[in-house]
Amino acid sequence: MTAAPATLRVNGATVALTPVPDDERLLDTLRWRLGLLGTKEGCRTGDCGACTVLVDGRSTLACLTLTHEIPGTEVLTIEAAGVDPDLERARAAFARASALQCGYCTPGFVLALTGMLKERGRDAPADELLDALQGNLCRCTGYAAIARAVAALRAEAP
Amino acid sequence: MTPFSLVAPASVDEAVAALRSDAAAGILAGGTDLLLDLDEGRTRAERLVSLRRLPWRTLDWTGEALAIGSTLPLRELEDDPDVRRRLPGLWQAVRAVGSVALRHRATIGGNLGRAAPASDLIPVLLTLDAEIELVGPAGTRTLPVDRFVLASRRTALGPAELIRSVRIPAARASAYRWQRVRPANDISQLAVAVARVAADGGWRVAVGGIPPRATLLPDVAEALGRGRPTDAALRAAADRASRDVALVADRRASEEYRRRLVGTLLRRAVADGLGGGGPA
Repeated sequence: MTAAPATLRVNGATVALTPVPDDERLLDTLRWRLGLLGTKEGCRTGDCGACTVLVDGRSTLACLTLTHEIPGTEVLTIEAAGVDPDLERARAAFARASALQCGYCTPGFVLALTGMLKERGRDAPADELLDALQGNLCRCTGYAAIARAVAALRAEAP
Repeated sequence: MTPFSLVAPASVDEAVAALRSDAAAGILAGGTDLLLDLDEGRTRAERLVSLRRLPWRTLDWTGEALAIGSTLPLRELEDDPDVRRRLPGLWQAVRAVGSVALRHRATIGGNLGRAAPASDLIPVLLTLDAEIELVGPAGTRTLPVDRFVLASRRTALGPAELIRSVRIPAARASAYRWQRVRPANDISQLAVAVARVAADGGWRVAVGGIPPRATLLPDVAEALGRGRPTDAALRAAADRASRDVALVADRRASEEYRRRLVGTLLRRAVADGLGGGGPA
């Protein structure tokens, strides 16, 4: 196995990474190399969506993405809430609707929702916004409060 | 997982050469299936050859024919309005794969090359008479999808060969119906694809979601007749399907449940397949 330097932009800042093993996942780069612990590891098999981040504005499962496969891209994580307007809108909608209990899955949900706002626009229809969340699992809320957060977001769309 | 190294060749020739120099190397497209299998030890590779730098993220309509580059993310295929309008069965099948986030990386070439029995795309591609364009040390060749996918996780891909594109010869009225516990990030208990051949109004029917691989059901298609099937023809076709298809029980569903499901999904798919799609 080999390792090479990698360059990404993460939450608006350029990060040059010293040798990253070829088989390192974006999830591990974010959590253990950059200390961005908001991105969660759930199943690590692409089933739960807890590790969802944005790569060039598109929702991506960080557990099934090799860091070296996305050179030069712009990665957005939950730590950019308050900075990125779409992300802040999604986060605020979840907070206002109390769409969380333990909170472990929440960053993944919020990023998946943010991705759809970027993909389809701020006035994206509710069915597209809910479609974006189908790949995310939550064991606490029963999804009702999450659906209310999406409905509220939709109601305040421009 | 055993550690692996990664190379990302900048040209097709370099990619083929990289695969020739290491027969055991894995081919990495979107990685959503391969990386998981490497993690879980179902696949072993000490070296991966990534296709990300090859110019294959393409989608080209030529009249009624569609050519899909093998590394096009499924989400981009789904977002093409003509795919939705003219090949609705393909659009539905693409939407059945994983989740939005997964489809941002997963590719059609990866889906075919990995040849999972649960593939949502293979049954539909069978009903559309899709052809797989391959490129390798001896140049290019084209195989019908029926001869490309051989068995569970087994394809006709030769040494150092790559899937370059998937070609669909004509737009077809078509539909895809599946049943599963969770709509996203799950695999189907069973799935049925249907398409209508514009020239004669005849049907193609395929069943998927069960090992060893998706299969065309010509006798079921024959029982449907041409154009809109009568109630009797639909019943005969559904009976035939639930009798003919070799079904298994596993943790997702019993054999008996699947036997009922074949007919139900066939009826739903036919009803939908009458609705639309095909030549503009």
